Amino acid sequence: MTLQTSSIGTPTLPRLLLGTVVDNALVLALVTVFAAFSIATPTFPTLANLQSILVNNFTLLAIVAIAMTFAVSVGGIDLSVGTAVDFASFAFVSLVLAGQPVAIAALAGLGAGAAVGAFNAVLISGIGISPFLATLGTLFIGRSIQQLLTNGGNPVYLPPSGAPEAFRFLGRGAIAGIPVPLVIAAVIVAGATLILTRARFGRVALAIGIQPSVARYSGITARAHVAVAFILVGLIAAVAGLILSATVTVYIPSSGNAFLLNAIGATFIGTTLSRLGRPNIPGTILGVLLLGIVANGLLLTGLNFYWQQVGTGLLIFAVLALSFINRRKATA
Amino acid sequence: MSAASPAADRSGDAIHLENIVKRFDGALALSGASLRVRRGTVHGLVGQNGAGKSTLIKLLAGLHQPDEGRIEIDGQVYEKLTPHRVEELGIHFIHQDRLLVPTFTVGEALFLGREPRIAGTPFLDRRLMQRRAGEILNDYFGVRLPNSALISELSTAEKQIVQITRALLDQPKILVFDEPTAALVRREADILFRLIRRLRDEGVTIIYISHYLNEIEELCDHVTVLRNGEDVATLPLGETSAAAIARLMVARDIAEMFPKRSVTPGKDILTIDQLSSRGKYHDISLTLRRGEVLGLTGLLGSGAKDLIRTLFGLETATSGQIEIDGKPVRSVNPAQAVDQHLALVPEDRRGNGVALDLSVTENITLSSLKRFTRLGFLDFKSERQEADDLIRRLEVKTSGRNALVRTLSGGNQQKVAIAKWLSRHSEVYLLDEPTVGVDIGSKVEIYNLIGDLAARGAGIIVLSSDLAELIGITDRILVLFRGNIVHEFVSSQTSPDEVLAASTGSSETLRHVG
Repeated sequence: MTLQTSSIGTPTLPRLLLGTVVDNALVLALVTVFAAFSIATPTFPTLANLQSILVNNFTLLAIVAIAMTFAVSVGGIDLSVGTAVDFASFAFVSLVLAGQPVAIAALAGLGAGAAVGAFNAVLISGIGISPFLATLGTLFIGRSIQQLLTNGGNPVYLPPSGAPEAFRFLGRGAIAGIPVPLVIAAVIVAGATLILTRARFGRVALAIGIQPSVARYSGITARAHVAVAFILVGLIAAVAGLILSATVTVYIPSSGNAFLLNAIGATFIGTTLSRLGRPNIPGTILGVLLLGIVANGLLLTGLNFYWQQVGTGLLIFAVLALSFINRRKATA
Repeated sequence: MSAASPAADRSGDAIHLENIVKRFDGALALSGASLRVRRGTVHGLVGQNGAGKSTLIKLLAGLHQPDEGRIEIDGQVYEKLTPHRVEELGIHFIHQDRLLVPTFTVGEALFLGREPRIAGTPFLDRRLMQRRAGEILNDYFGVRLPNSALISELSTAEKQIVQITRALLDQPKILVFDEPTAALVRREADILFRLIRRLRDEGVTIIYISHYLNEIEELCDHVTVLRNGEDVATLPLGETSAAAIARLMVARDIAEMFPKRSVTPGKDILTIDQLSSRGKYHDISLTLRRGEVLGLTGLLGSGAKDLIRTLFGLETATSGQIEIDGKPVRSVNPAQAVDQHLALVPEDRRGNGVALDLSVTENITLSSLKRFTRLGFLDFKSERQEADDLIRRLEVKTSGRNALVRTLSGGNQQKVAIAKWLSRHSEVYLLDEPTVGVDIGSKVEIYNLIGDLAARGAGIIVLSSDLAELIGITDRILVLFRGNIVHEFVSSQTSPDEVLAASTGSSETLRHVG
């Protein structure tokens, strides 16, 4: 009875707790999943395993997911992020194999990824095709081009001994004990956060994504901004392509598509669970970590590999449930 | 017509709504409105925007439930109406451009939800559908529309025929027409009127809603005038005129809300010379001076809205010229218009005016972000300062500059929509229904703001169908009717009923114009 005497306006303890839970849903989800796996498998919380999560389950996906976040921020989606990864990887490996300096080859790789983005930009902003269909088309065309370039899908190997020093450094080197790919990912996280939250471009992109008609009625040329966003997507995804090929010293056609669904998942987990429901880099990164930890943890529990995607699916349902509570709270 | 038709039965009421009260979020949409429609008559329903017409019709359609009042249909009292019950009662609604799926065929649209089946099978009886539709189309309209034609291929008039036919297939008792002629040419409207008279003679009860008072005069047996959520009069048409109806529609008690202004207009800021857009408006010429508030009014389809959209680069004119400050402009998109210091506050505030899920600050600076950008990055401090300044100056009531605009009231959302252009230093303001859905208090503040802007040398065009408001805040008023400027009034020397008569094209005024 005493509980009910609390006056209107003063939040009750359960209400306060719920509010805190919802506002920090992503962090709490991460802690919960982490704790669960730590209890289930003693090998999970070891330093070696955590490092392996960061290197194997985090770095590349984080970069591709950030690229995806830019597409989502203008209200679109990019199904061809994997194509940009692959094109960058192909250009990079082929030029290094041909004896070009690593720096030149890397620039060409970035250019190849940006070209995929520019192609999408022409389809979306120039012709007016919806981002979903435009990038789906690019995905199919890109897959064919790769098969044509590699005689039906043969990998392009660099002999491990023959790879230049700079090339190997990019994939397996370390700066102050931190793996180079992780350093690059950190730089991209910082840069992307800055662009999305502090640059005029980021503000305008979000406005276009949130209410395109208002952006138009405010005198914003949405097409130009959408075009830049999609080129940026290709460019960032290309970085992942460079790191991928430098790590495994091989280009495997269409291997970049493996990131697609997880990148979409991470981006929307981050968007859905953010306070304002906006695409945001920290949210995307937490989404990537969540997906990475679930994948790694399930593997360590000795569960059949094929169960992994069940874990990912359940995670997404859990996120949806949380966002539902979030919305109920917002309208209450 | 035939002796067997129920035409003889004109006794009693088809519809009797009594003292209906309806509130939305505390705002009173209907404050004791009554509507009594005799069986087998054509009954007009008129009133200005916001008078409560659409709320009353939605109640009748079972889409809203009244908070108080009594509903009686065909002598039977109903606690509440649901869309299903309404259909059972044989009440059908003809809206101007709703309810038809563009990708359906005529046949599918006509029989949607009640497709005849071949007896004993789940298959559609296409032949029967074709025959029944053909009979009605031919009998009532004398037209043939193949059942396989796509709705999107039809003209507006043909779409309306499909809608009416769909209703007739159900042998309706009551038909409600909501602004049916707004998009029709005179010849098409004549066909519609003949049809309505014939249906009435066959015993169908018709409710006819229109802004065109001459049509009401021509077609209706009785008319009910709504004002501020109440019925102010129900009159037989033989004893009244369009001008008298117009006087009843206009409220005068808010005249005192308008700020007294005394601005001497300065140099010309906007000149439009013989601007035309095929099928929308013709040979529009006008001049707007600095410090002047120019009113623009006209019914749906008058071209006034298209003119405003053209100025802001949302549509293109087919010929003619626009000049701002003596320099010719050719805005082909809003971005260019904004760069020419044009500002549009659109009618659809929540759709186009403000981004509901952006904050107050983000909305205010959306058009002027360049001013708060250093080397591509935002200068949050000066942006915050700008937002705070404008929030204070316009007295925007918000929990803070970071609150989402969604959480603001309609009036305060509108202030944010205007603040966006103040931040952009715009000079020509196009205000499209600036106070629609805004509470009285905010209305007065917005009127004052408009006066303020004019005093600072801006040129302002206000488009409004609230005529008392238009007269109260403008210096001059141009009336558009079916694409032409038909009249110019000096605001201080006219009255709402005079302007309304001009905009409804009532014969009296047209004679006056010549």
